[in-house]
Amino acid sequence: MRILLDKFSKSFGTTSVIEDMNLEVGSGEMLALLGPSGCGKSTTLFAICGIHRPTAGRILFGDRDVTNLPSQERNVGVVFQSYALYPHMTVEENIGFPLTVRRVAASDIKKQVAGIAALVHIDNLLDRKPSQLSGGQQQRVALARALIRRPDVLLLDEPLANLDAKLRLEMRSEIRRLQKETGITAILVTHDQVEAMSMCDRIAIMKSGEIVQVATPSQMYQDPRTAFVAGFLGNPPISFLKGKAAHGAFVSTDGKLQMTLPALSGIADGTALTLGIRPEHFGTAGNVPVEGKVTFAETQGRENLYDVVLPDGSVIRSIQPVRDDVTLGDQVRWGIDSKSAFVFAEDGTRL
Amino acid sequence: MRTSRTLGMVMIAPAAIMIFLFYLMPVVLTAIFAMTNMSTATGISGGAWQVTASAVNRLKTTLPELANGIAEPRFVIDEDGLKELEALKLKPGFATELRAQHIGGVYPSRREAERDIKALKDRPNTREVKQISDIFNRSVLNTRFESRDALMTSLDKLGFKLTPEQQQIVSDATYTGWVWTSENFSTIANSPDMLQILINTGIYVAVTLTLFNVTYALFLAVTTHYMPSNTASVFRAIWLLPRITPVVIYILLWKWMTWDNGFISLFLAQFGVPPKNYLLDSAYNAWFFVILINGFIGASMGMLVFSSAIKAIPQTQFHASEVDGASRWQQIRYIILPQLRWPILFVTCYQTLSLLASFQEIHLSTRGGPGKSTEVWSLAAFHTALNNYTGNLEYGLGAAMALVLVVVGLVLSLIYLRVFRYDTLISKPLIED
Ligand SMILES: Nc1ncnc2c1ncn2[C@@H]1O[C@H](COP(=O)(O)OP(=O)(O)OP(=O)(O)O)[C@@H](O)[C@H]1O
Ligand SMILES: [Mg+2]
Repeated sequence: MRILLDKFSKSFGTTSVIEDMNLEVGSGEMLALLGPSGCGKSTTLFAICGIHRPTAGRILFGDRDVTNLPSQERNVGVVFQSYALYPHMTVEENIGFPLTVRRVAASDIKKQVAGIAALVHIDNLLDRKPSQLSGGQQQRVALARALIRRPDVLLLDEPLANLDAKLRLEMRSEIRRLQKETGITAILVTHDQVEAMSMCDRIAIMKSGEIVQVATPSQMYQDPRTAFVAGFLGNPPISFLKGKAAHGAFVSTDGKLQMTLPALSGIADGTALTLGIRPEHFGTAGNVPVEGKVTFAETQGRENLYDVVLPDGSVIRSIQPVRDDVTLGDQVRWGIDSKSAFVFAEDGTRL
Repeated sequence: MRTSRTLGMVMIAPAAIMIFLFYLMPVVLTAIFAMTNMSTATGISGGAWQVTASAVNRLKTTLPELANGIAEPRFVIDEDGLKELEALKLKPGFATELRAQHIGGVYPSRREAERDIKALKDRPNTREVKQISDIFNRSVLNTRFESRDALMTSLDKLGFKLTPEQQQIVSDATYTGWVWTSENFSTIANSPDMLQILINTGIYVAVTLTLFNVTYALFLAVTTHYMPSNTASVFRAIWLLPRITPVVIYILLWKWMTWDNGFISLFLAQFGVPPKNYLLDSAYNAWFFVILINGFIGASMGMLVFSSAIKAIPQTQFHASEVDGASRWQQIRYIILPQLRWPILFVTCYQTLSLLASFQEIHLSTRGGPGKSTEVWSLAAFHTALNNYTGNLEYGLGAAMALVLVVVGLVLSLIYLRVFRYDTLISKPLIED
């Protein structure tokens, strides 16, 4: 079922959190909502599931306007950021609750709970109370409770934040498989960009109540619309260099680095610019040479990470296949791949 | 180590003294009083020995002869009486002749004594005969003896020869002070009045508690929970009014409403219903109003406790349950009520105890009437020990009734703890997987 936010605004008293947001999530699509803490991700989810009424704008499920429909009538499954488990119920009762209030027969509930609990690997904990569970176990109970009644829309507010790396990988693919199988439309809020990129069809990046860009993970990575988006995606993150425009080229503050870029034709000389270089585009293969000193070196197994400080003090990160000829303190001369560099105006928009 | 322990004792001493004086002493004193027959008649200090009419009555069953004899006046011509007679300065011949002829004479009745006095040579006139016989009246009836020995000596002089056992019986029967006894409890156990009062108390406590202090309070707390917070505050304040109004004034309002020229009567008069005192016209109505008055005062506490307990439930649980599809009613049933078990237990316990112990509302409204139909245990204890029409205040019996109340309260609390399965209310420590 398609979800459409149409000029959706939400304010609490005088503090406006979200203004005129437009967002469409296609039927059966899984969208990641990515953004810094406090940008309004949870608020958006709360409005979609009906806990908060929008201050203005409409929310549509399919073609049905649900803006003023109570939560109970929306058939939305939610995994809350704080789990929101019922402390007085056992795990079994917690998971079965959406069915209990629907007056499903007790034996049916038991069967379905057992099935979904096995799926999230908590079938051995059914008799415990939430206070007797670890954070990750509680999270899985919350997930099971959201999934059990096959919702039309699934909203996940950082559902995997408390799991260990292995379990997280496993749950990622489980959730994705379930979502695809059942054709649920899902929105996943996360701080983990790898999670967003690996699980979701598209990513929406939010910044202080606004959606900055919505795109597929690879588009988002290769074609960021702003410096914020470019900085948000990628690990290790992109490096930024300050400079100016001069004759269709980017010139660093101390003038030592010059790079001609097609995007800069027609830009007035002296315009303040920011150059963005992803770590994989700085290394031995680049075409624009840069000299600097290695101030940080770390191996990640398959790859090595380096921080190179340029004479003017700015830092460029580099990621390269493992090599052991470069050590901390070495003077290096590596190159930037100018075709893959992004250049941004002073306000952050990409040129 | 030693000094810190001493210091600890010193620090805790004021608290210990307070606990002893204001918490334990009242119960201990109540228990002590309960084991006596103290009353207005006995006083609370020591007593004296006095052959009262009721003492004679008590003796009639065990020592009928003595009882009859003791009740009769006795006349003894003795030296004390003769000296007194001389001091009266009547004709000196009276004393002289009596001393000579009749010294030591014991007359079982006034008639016999006066026969001898009349026969004196100096011929006393009727008034003098009476005067003289009064002097020799040695009856013990209504005479106060400061000690047991004085009573026994006196009886001995009058010719009652008693064995030590009989002396003990007489002493017990005539002692006017209080004595140790467990009779209070057998009185309570055997009296049909007490049974009725016990039943009254049970009904009063159970109905007020379940209908008002818990159910109505829950209803108020839950409804205010679903109101906007400002409206809720206003309603809570209104529902607190009965609690914060001085109880005398609050009950006066109810009286104005229920008197025969009060609001209800005036209103119903419009429809031709004759006025009457609705508060006291029947036991049923009296109970109705007594429970209503106590209920409205008592519900406010439950409301406050339950409201704050509901407030303590994290908002997200309500959000989650809405999303899970729970209606309001289901939210109340599955989310709110189960998490109010501990507050409900607390309110039930606390209100049971305060309903058992408090009687001022009943005392001020119906005074236990009509008749004794709204008399409850604590009010009955109050009436018995401190305030009744006959004027004989039975402190001992009253204290015994109060002690019964304490025991009943304790037992009920223990039962509640079991019924609410107190152990399950305490969360278990985290068990690692
Ligand atoms: N009930 C409320 N009243 C006032 N302000 C609120 C309320 N709820 C949220 N906010 C504000 O709205 C903004 C967005 O909050 P929200 O919870 O949506 O952030 P978020 O993107 O989910 O952050 P996080 O990643 O830390 O969970 C925050 O600045 C927060 O302070
Ligand atoms: Mg959040």
